[in-house]
Amino acid sequence: MLLSQDKKPTLIWLQGVTCNGNTHSFLNLSYLELLLSKFELIYLPFMEVKYSFFDISKCSLSCDVLIFEGTFDPLMQRNGVLLKDILIHYANDAKHIIAVGSCASFGGMFKASAPDRNSGLLYDGDDFIGVLTKLYKKVINLSGCPIHPEWLGYTLSMIANNKNIKLDDLYRPVELYSNLSHHGCTRNEYFEWKVDAKNFGEKEGCLFYEQGCRAPMTHASCNKILWNEVSSKTRIGTPCFGCTEPDFPRENFFKTKTNMSIPQDIPLGVPKRSYLTMAGIAKTFHIKRLEGKLIDYKTTD
Amino acid sequence: MIIKQLIEQIEGEAFVSFDMKDDRVEFSTISFAHFRGMEMMLEGKNVLDALVITPRVCGICGHAHLMATVRAIEDAYKNAGFKINLTDKIQKIRELTLIMEMIQNHFKWLYMVIIPELSKIVDLSLVKEPLKGAFSASIASKIIAIFGGQWPHSSYMVPAGITCDPTDIDIVQAQNYLDELISFFEKESLGVSLEKFLSFKSCKDFNDISSDISNLEKALISIDMHHKGFSHDRFLIMGEHSFTNVSKLKHTRTFKVNSKYIKTEEAYSPNEKTYALNALYNDEYYETGSLARMMSNSIPIIKNMHRRYKDSAYSRVMARIFELGYMLNHAKKLINGIDIYEKSITKVENIEKVSAKGIGIVEAPRGPLIHKIELEMGIIKSYKIITPTQFNIGSSTPDKPTPVQLAMKGLTKEEALFVFRTFDVCSVCTTH
Amino acid sequence: MARITKAERKKSIISASLKLFSERGFYITTIPDIAQKVGMSVGNFYNYFNSKDVLAKELVMYISQYLGDNIRDINERDISTDEKIYEIVSMYFNIADEKPEMIEYFLRVYLSNREVFSDGCEGMLCVSPFVTEMMMFFNDGVESGDLYDQDFFSAFGLFMGYLGGMVFLFGEKILPEPLENYKESISQNIYNALKSR
Repeated sequence: MLLSQDKKPTLIWLQGVTCNGNTHSFLNLSYLELLLSKFELIYLPFMEVKYSFFDISKCSLSCDVLIFEGTFDPLMQRNGVLLKDILIHYANDAKHIIAVGSCASFGGMFKASAPDRNSGLLYDGDDFIGVLTKLYKKVINLSGCPIHPEWLGYTLSMIANNKNIKLDDLYRPVELYSNLSHHGCTRNEYFEWKVDAKNFGEKEGCLFYEQGCRAPMTHASCNKILWNEVSSKTRIGTPCFGCTEPDFPRENFFKTKTNMSIPQDIPLGVPKRSYLTMAGIAKTFHIKRLEGKLIDYKTTD
Repeated sequence: MIIKQLIEQIEGEAFVSFDMKDDRVEFSTISFAHFRGMEMMLEGKNVLDALVITPRVCGICGHAHLMATVRAIEDAYKNAGFKINLTDKIQKIRELTLIMEMIQNHFKWLYMVIIPELSKIVDLSLVKEPLKGAFSASIASKIIAIFGGQWPHSSYMVPAGITCDPTDIDIVQAQNYLDELISFFEKESLGVSLEKFLSFKSCKDFNDISSDISNLEKALISIDMHHKGFSHDRFLIMGEHSFTNVSKLKHTRTFKVNSKYIKTEEAYSPNEKTYALNALYNDEYYETGSLARMMSNSIPIIKNMHRRYKDSAYSRVMARIFELGYMLNHAKKLINGIDIYEKSITKVENIEKVSAKGIGIVEAPRGPLIHKIELEMGIIKSYKIITPTQFNIGSSTPDKPTPVQLAMKGLTKEEALFVFRTFDVCSVCTTH
Repeated sequence: MARITKAERKKSIISASLKLFSERGFYITTIPDIAQKVGMSVGNFYNYFNSKDVLAKELVMYISQYLGDNIRDINERDISTDEKIYEIVSMYFNIADEKPEMIEYFLRVYLSNREVFSDGCEGMLCVSPFVTEMMMFFNDGVESGDLYDQDFFSAFGLFMGYLGGMVFLFGEKILPEPLENYKESISQNIYNALKSR
């Protein structure tokens, strides 16, 4: 018994400049208790475990898995100690460093708090100039604002099971970031036939043409592994804001950037010429079913 | 003697400097160290972007920020001479998801903060099950996600509407999750039915039950928390909702309020740098949050509790638990009242036509959350946020203490640290 | 003499029919007229096109592809937007001058006999290569900051309507000067109308 207890990887969750959004998202994980039981919890910011932050800030402990949430600010102090010193102390010993959220991955929302110095652990936007670039082999980026609980659930489970996690060129697990958030969207048919949403508040229509949806350009599995196990932004009519990509946050979230009515950004990897040809032709056909309401309540009365 | 204490697990962290005299808190100051500059970040942007940015002020109450933003924008529309008509459906769904965020917050606070913290200072053995808080909160978040797509950080409220267009099955799912959550609350927390709990007339009614809540109640009494942690006995409720009575209370007397009297001022924190500002109403400090809301709603058990124990730490904790039940019950009514045939969004002018000021006030889990905006052709000229923790956990001078400073006075350090948390502190919101 | 391939044969039908349609009109021109002009039997003609309507649509696609290829070549050059406008105007007027049947067919047959093209040639179906390249041109122009961002059809109509009108006047022999002489001023007018403000 004791032996298996000893073998559990040790875990510390550290925070930089953050809103705690990743923490609260993670707390929604359906198998949270089971997952946490696979680790020896040294420090968590959201519940009391073995040590307090006071202990952590003394930099005399260590961990196998270091989770970092928030933007890294080199001048930030926590409990009177430079966050940089705390981070580097634990990062050096850790076997795995997980940057949770877009702030920790790329700088994200709180890069703007101090744009000239704040960044993610490996990246500042998509520049590979973060504080932990020397340790890049140990870093796994889980971008997203916030992360989906399952994304961290998957990553920690793989680590607990001693499995190798294959990463993309931004050090994100391919398992989670190979899909586009467009994949699995309930509005896909409207995208195919270029039927745009006339307004917010409707089930019908695609949000890519007018409402700023970034789903066809965004690596994320939001419509494959649903949020809170029930839905996703695009399913309920909110455009995807591209929060898993290094350029998040962009501007004008609710408006598609167009040049003479032509979307500036088009689905990933598709040449604009091909896209315009296809879109123009698809728009030619008026599919009556797609132009009407999905459910006609009036006739079902 | 000054003792500096780091407080964590309060949605971020804070420092409290205790000035101790004979092992009692003579005076205290509070500092919040981590500034994020959200207001500055918003300036110059299209105000619709605020619907995406402000929820990211806070991981636990971001949805309240979303609603404050949408209300501020709608107010700016009105001030610019444009009409905003919200259907009953829009209002009900917005209220519902706001309430569900409040419920997830209270569950987490109960199981992840209050019970573990209380167990440090009581002799009674309290069962610490923090993950019960996470589990129940996750069910509440599912209900938000049905309408809002996700929680945290949904942006589904937009000027004059909501982006979702729910069908019957969404309503049924939401009802089922709510029933599951109520059943959890009854079985795991209360030990009695919600209906019975809501019919309680006195704190003595807890005596007959054995449950997490009744144990908590006994534990509070056991360390005299019904005679400790008193504050000004002044309460402020500013957010207009189907579940509030916008007012201020001095003891039990109710007065009308006007948002123009809300001001902020520099915090007094001589020992430590702080980025927080204190929030006042008409130059006075008021307590905000569950106790304030429940007081203003004239609920028998709360009135009874207040008559006996005033605004003690006990009342503060128990009011928050009562509010959990109250809100679960209210949420049920809201869901049942949603008419899916109504519009999810009504006609609204392009935001670029709006040059005006606007104010959005909502009741967040911890009290009034205020967003003030100034727009020039839809672009943000200025954005000011005042959060409930700024009312409760301000740091002022000894002659004019804030609610938390007064509540901690005269207690031992350990008691004071517990009382600090009875306010349910949100550090990240405070230093937006 | 090398045997004429099927593709070449098809091409000669296209060029002969273009001329006949634009000279005589779509309804007056018959399949025997076209077969005779190409020098083939009517029966053999049907091996290439099932009907006059099918041929009519194919002609539109042929012209659209031809214009599209030319504009694409201009789009991909490393020149400024006003230079591109000049090149497009110039290309269009050259075609009107050298192969007037192409533009004539487009203006007089395609745009005037919509009933022929209502099934399978509506919207973008037959003109896609041409319109796509114009979209690319406008997109690049706005992206580079040279052109004012506005509705696509407002800009497209201004550009192509203007050119079509000039070619019409030219065809009606109303223009006092050769088309060549208008390239510069018309390009300038189009640029002035579309440039960023």
